[in-house]
Amino acid sequence: MPLATTPLARRALPAAAALALLTGCTSVHPDAPGPPAVPAGRAAQDALLRAAERRLVDDCLADRGIRATAEPRAPAGDRALQAALFGTGPRELSVTLATGATVTAHSDGCLAAAKDRLYGDQHRWFRAQVVVDNLRAEAQARYRDDPAHRSALARWTACVAPPGRPRPERPDPAESARCARESGLDETRARLERAELTEVRALHRDELTTYRQLRDGALRRAALLPAPTPPPKGDTTS
Amino acid sequence: MKRFLATTAATLFAVTAGLTAAGSAAAAECPSGHFCVWQDSNFGGQRANWSGDDGWWESWISDTDSSWANHGISGPGIKDHVRVYESAWQGGSMTICLAPGQEVGYNGAANDRGDSHIWSTGC
Repeated sequence: MPLATTPLARRALPAAAALALLTGCTSVHPDAPGPPAVPAGRAAQDALLRAAERRLVDDCLADRGIRATAEPRAPAGDRALQAALFGTGPRELSVTLATGATVTAHSDGCLAAAKDRLYGDQHRWFRAQVVVDNLRAEAQARYRDDPAHRSALARWTACVAPPGRPRPERPDPAESARCARESGLDETRARLERAELTEVRALHRDELTTYRQLRDGALRRAALLPAPTPPPKGDTTS
Repeated sequence: MKRFLATTAATLFAVTAGLTAAGSAAAAECPSGHFCVWQDSNFGGQRANWSGDDGWWESWISDTDSSWANHGISGPGIKDHVRVYESAWQGGSMTICLAPGQEVGYNGAANDRGDSHIWSTGC
């Protein structure tokens, strides 16, 4: 019986497909008019990505019977949350930076799953994110031993913790900031960082391109994410 | 055949080495919402952990840090990235910036150098 396709059924199938396109599927069709707008400002984009990631993480945790809330947990409960959120398997995500640090993460937690869905490829995103996030650290490592930086840092150290006096238990941050200005540390670092950041960004052009491409894709996916499902009945907490 | 075997052996070795390096340590035990620092590499020895900023780490952990993990919880507007500095009050260089879920089991260049950290919305 299923094989006996009538001419009517053959005509009905494309019609059903067309109807689907006109209704539910139009919202995810890339060429459809009026897809959800991706905000233009960086702050609004960050907020959209963070909200989407949190949504995906919360859904994943809920599937594992866990709710991520700010309230304190018993150690066993927190270990369960850590395991579900950050993963427990081999550290399959790994990038060694020019500074020598090997940054790793588990690929089997809800956080990794959310990033995989949002950015399309958690391995590529991890690599790009870690490198781009540490461009400043890399630039600072490059000028760390510059004589101008060394002497400015020595003046700053002498200013915040004068020799011969015991190290203050909690030095005043305002003092530290004053010392950074007066020792010339702020100015020296700003000058050296500008130059080194330019170099470092040129060295990592590929990662910067990947970072932008994956972020753009994530923004489009985040904008398409359906509204959050209402919390279960009787659930009054956030 | 000989060449095939040699290539296979090399591949197997590379895969094994990769797995050993990646899976050498168990999951880092660090409370959720906290940034953790250990005196030993691979998340061993005495651990310090903070849910907030610390402009000058206590003397037992300052300049004795060997591994790091960010177990911050993300969300809109939440400061969930951690920047680690080699001097108090962010006076020296930033040695590493970690997003939630990221860890560093050992870093020859930053080993025993940390003195302060701050949480921020980005790096």
